[in-house]
Amino acid sequence: MRRTLVVLLVLAALLVIGAVYYALDPSASGLFPRCVFLSMTGYKCPGCGSQRAIHALLHGDVLGAFKYNALLLVAVPWIILCLYAESRRVRNPRLYARLNAPLLIWLFLAMVLIWWLLRNIFNW
Amino acid sequence: MQYWINHNGVQSGPVDVDGIKEMGLTSAAYVWHEGLTDWVKITQLPELQGMYEMLEPVAEPAVTGQPLETQPAATQPAPAQQPQINYEQLATTEPCPPTNLVWAIITTVLCCIPSGIVAIFYALKVSNKYREGDIEGAKRASETGAWWCIASIILGIIAMPLSYLMMMAGAS
Repeated sequence: MRRTLVVLLVLAALLVIGAVYYALDPSASGLFPRCVFLSMTGYKCPGCGSQRAIHALLHGDVLGAFKYNALLLVAVPWIILCLYAESRRVRNPRLYARLNAPLLIWLFLAMVLIWWLLRNIFNW
Repeated sequence: MQYWINHNGVQSGPVDVDGIKEMGLTSAAYVWHEGLTDWVKITQLPELQGMYEMLEPVAEPAVTGQPLETQPAATQPAPAQQPQINYEQLATTEPCPPTNLVWAIITTVLCCIPSGIVAIFYALKVSNKYREGDIEGAKRASETGAWWCIASIILGIIAMPLSYLMMMAGAS
């Protein structure tokens, strides 16, 4: 019961945040926080552009989202899959174990690091 | 209370008491819960009594004083299979501590401080150590990784007002 309540609260929060990011364009509005890492170091962090990417995604603009932050497009389905596996861990322990296997985590870690490096070299 | 079950070599869990009732276990199942140092037979937990099917007790292979020469090994009837428990293997059937992978990914993608990457690294460490059979190491890595996730979120929240200050400073 408590778990259901937590899930409902999280979904409600996501809905509100989603509505804000749908209605307002982070690249035009001054309301959204900018990346501190970028302003301090001059280098983009792996998450730079994710707010604009979320705005684009919510408008169905997958290509635009990809241009703002390609990592986000990979991370979102990855997160959803991991959350699903976690909720089904009792009934399907194998799926959970596979998603949390060292190989897949390695893959994600390597992807993040390469993405971070390349986007600063080619200014993606 | 959450239980982990090992029934005929198949591991599942965590489940609560009601879940155990529905699983149709037999008395051959092993159970582990937080606080137990090792897996125990389901029959040893009084709170789970009556939630599993009782199997016929397996007869102990009789230890006889007969000299071995009279019973060549080939003709000796195989002793009844006692559910032998491989402790080394069971050590790895304790559920893997949380890798915190979801939080690590979320903080990497959404917080502008790249400390989430460290959390992903620790998720990898948890998974690696667990598969090497180093449960304690995996638990430590899981805890450290969780702290990195929390630190990333806090840093991200601190950074938000900071970013507005910088914007204002840049505008003036």
